[in-house]
Amino acid sequence: MDLELTETQTIFRDTIRKFLEEEVPFSRVRELEKQQRSDEALWATLGAQGWLGVALPEEADEGGLIEAGLLVEEVQRRAALVPVAEAISCAVTLQRHGSRERAPELVERILSGEMTVVPAILESVDRFGEVAAEVNDDGLLSGEKFFVDYASIATHHLVAAQCRGAVGLYLVDRGQSQIETTSTPTLGRTPAAHVRYQNASAEQLCGEDGHAFLIQFARVLCAVQALSCMQVALEMSVAYTSIREQFGQLIGTFQAVQHHAADMAIDTESTRFLVYETLDALDRGEASEEQVAVAKAAASRAVPEVVMLAQQLHGGQGFIEENDLYFFTLRGKERSLAWGTTEECLALIGRSVEAPERWL
Amino acid sequence: MDFRWEQEYLEFRDELVGFLRAWRTPELLAEYDRGEGTPGPAMRSFYEALDARGWMRMCWPVEYGGEGRDPLYRFIFIETMEYWGMPYGDLTFTSVAPTLIAFGSETQKKKYLPGIFKGEVRFALGYSEPNAGTDLASLRTQAMRAGDDWIIQGQKIWTSLAESSTHIWLAARTNPDGPKHQGISVFIVPVDAEGVSIRPLHTMSGLRTNETFYDGVRVPAENLVGPVDGGWNIVMYALNFERVGLAAVGDLAREFDLFVAYLKERRPELLDDPVTRTRLAELKVDLHRQRALATRNAHAIASGGIGIGEASMAKVHGSELRYRFSNTAMDLLGRYGALSEESGALAPIDGGMELTWRMSPILRFGGGTNEVQRTIIATRHLGMPR
Ligand SMILES: Cc1cc2nc3c(=O)[nH]c(=O)nc-3n(C[C@H](O)[C@H](O)[C@H](O)COP(=O)(O)OP(=O)(O)OC[C@H]3O[C@@H](n4cnc5c(N)ncnc54)[C@H](O)[C@@H]3O)c2cc1C
Repeated sequence: MDLELTETQTIFRDTIRKFLEEEVPFSRVRELEKQQRSDEALWATLGAQGWLGVALPEEADEGGLIEAGLLVEEVQRRAALVPVAEAISCAVTLQRHGSRERAPELVERILSGEMTVVPAILESVDRFGEVAAEVNDDGLLSGEKFFVDYASIATHHLVAAQCRGAVGLYLVDRGQSQIETTSTPTLGRTPAAHVRYQNASAEQLCGEDGHAFLIQFARVLCAVQALSCMQVALEMSVAYTSIREQFGQLIGTFQAVQHHAADMAIDTESTRFLVYETLDALDRGEASEEQVAVAKAAASRAVPEVVMLAQQLHGGQGFIEENDLYFFTLRGKERSLAWGTTEECLALIGRSVEAPERWL
Repeated sequence: MDFRWEQEYLEFRDELVGFLRAWRTPELLAEYDRGEGTPGPAMRSFYEALDARGWMRMCWPVEYGGEGRDPLYRFIFIETMEYWGMPYGDLTFTSVAPTLIAFGSETQKKKYLPGIFKGEVRFALGYSEPNAGTDLASLRTQAMRAGDDWIIQGQKIWTSLAESSTHIWLAARTNPDGPKHQGISVFIVPVDAEGVSIRPLHTMSGLRTNETFYDGVRVPAENLVGPVDGGWNIVMYALNFERVGLAAVGDLAREFDLFVAYLKERRPELLDDPVTRTRLAELKVDLHRQRALATRNAHAIASGGIGIGEASMAKVHGSELRYRFSNTAMDLLGRYGALSEESGALAPIDGGMELTWRMSPILRFGGGTNEVQRTIIATRHLGMPR
């Protein structure tokens, strides 16, 4: 057992952090957010410089899902508007469960940034298991998808659909006129859309197992994003309460303030362990649906508590958009709801509580 | 003990509800929703009709246009207006006016009160400063005597509604040497006075607030409210009135009812889920707890007490519940819960839950932060050692 990042992983994290801090000032994110756009320049750079490839290295010791998690976490620390989690979840799914002829080439094109592929799973009712979108015998896909993150900038969607009752993942080129996207602005201020497909040409790439894996993997990456928001909110709170004075003393010296910060730390640390433990298990093909649900439930439940305590400790200062805190508050809650809410994950865990648990 | 409301209160409630049903038009709600500060035609005629019935000032003394009714009427009025989501005058009406009645000079009352009734005089509250938030008494904006005038120099922050107000209700330091609570005075500063400037601040709730700057602003001595250096009590008095609305359960109760109605109509499968019902039941218990705390507070005030502990308990529980309620409702709605109003028909209850969640921090740290309120409950209410 080794609970620390390896030296290579630490270097990787620090390098990407430094790169993003220089490349992505928050002022730029604010501007893009206002225009409801994504960061196309950053997206191109991430692809061109090979950052996305870290999830699927040629040599096993050069990366993997932990590294993918680190990348997603760092990108979220800058509140950057790029579909890193979306594209990586599609690429890894294709590599593990995609058709043997097509997958290698597609994965390469996704990781180089040449293609931007995002998952399109959820339908009108917010449940992951139910797939009504249909592919007919001519290979044409029809149906609706909701909450497709970065739908309008993606070149392709990886759509969950069924053909004669068998669920699979279909690659759909967004350029076709048979696709209609309507933007659905949300709390998190990241671009998302409602998408309608009407006899869109579609290519099947995965079956049921790929569909199931994609949901599990995207769910953990979403938990990483929530974790990242908690982490930044905590760090900002510690920093702010260490310089803000009221009543002639630093507010960080008040016990009430310290106890809030301590609770935030407990939430963040426990979530960090569970989320990375699950990524590690997923990398080895050993993560159960329940383990993923535990990690996401922990993250989903904790993130609103932590970001709202951060708001509380910042007082008025944290509430204005000149301050960076709001990025993490709003994105954090959005991530809490995406890819399985607390309630949905609890329901999953609840279904198997009587199964014996290995606590050690 | 007898927990029932006396008949006259219930009759007033029913009369008020009947009135609101008639006046709650889409035009009015749209205008109120836009929240531009300066009332438009629909809101103006609504305020006129409300004023004709004297309901906003019915608890004030008769000589200032009131009926001298007991404060429980005010409680019923606020709760009912909150439930129906109707405007009932902003802080000018709920906080500045009663404070002027208590502390203002005869000239000030004659000059400002009639305009307040008509919505022509609107105040922004200038208390907070960059370095004086929770520790309000350490405010530094200065007012210096210059012959018959006062000259004001300094900066305020979070001066909400300054952009659409006619005056600022300003707390300034008039004695920099003595104890800090004893060197503060309250002034009425016209927004258009020379030397006043306003810079907007945009918040994550979508609400605008402001920084306001005072550069050698000259106001006549008659604009001083109450005695020189006696402003702290006046500010505390005004803040007490401001807090009455904060603890109300009405608007949360309405959101609860709207939420359940939405589930019933649009997401019946969710409402059939026993987990949803348990969550809703928990929220309902919390709403009743809030009703209990708010009613107890109103009753303490009506019985002539100060109700410091009661007010703080209702404020803390109400603001925490606002967060918890919107958070849970969003969880139950899944990603639909995060859709904001701009998403149109897809957004549940016009994005109401998402907006309540985004606004919820204000009430937790505003109106006296919950940390400090808890200390007040422990020390002043429970008598625990300081
Ligand atoms: C949208 C908005 C509108 C507003 N409108 C107005 C307005 O119209 N007029 C006006 O005058 N003001 C207004 N305010 C200001 C508001 O009242 C202040 O934000 C509030 O008083 C808190 O002060 P602060 O923001 O400086 O936070 P701080 O005082 O810096 O507090 C930060 C944190 O420290 C904690 N803390 C501070 N002291 C203690 C202590 N002794 N013990 C334990 N914890 C402590 C607080 O609880 C809080 O969690 C508004 C604020 C906002 C955001």
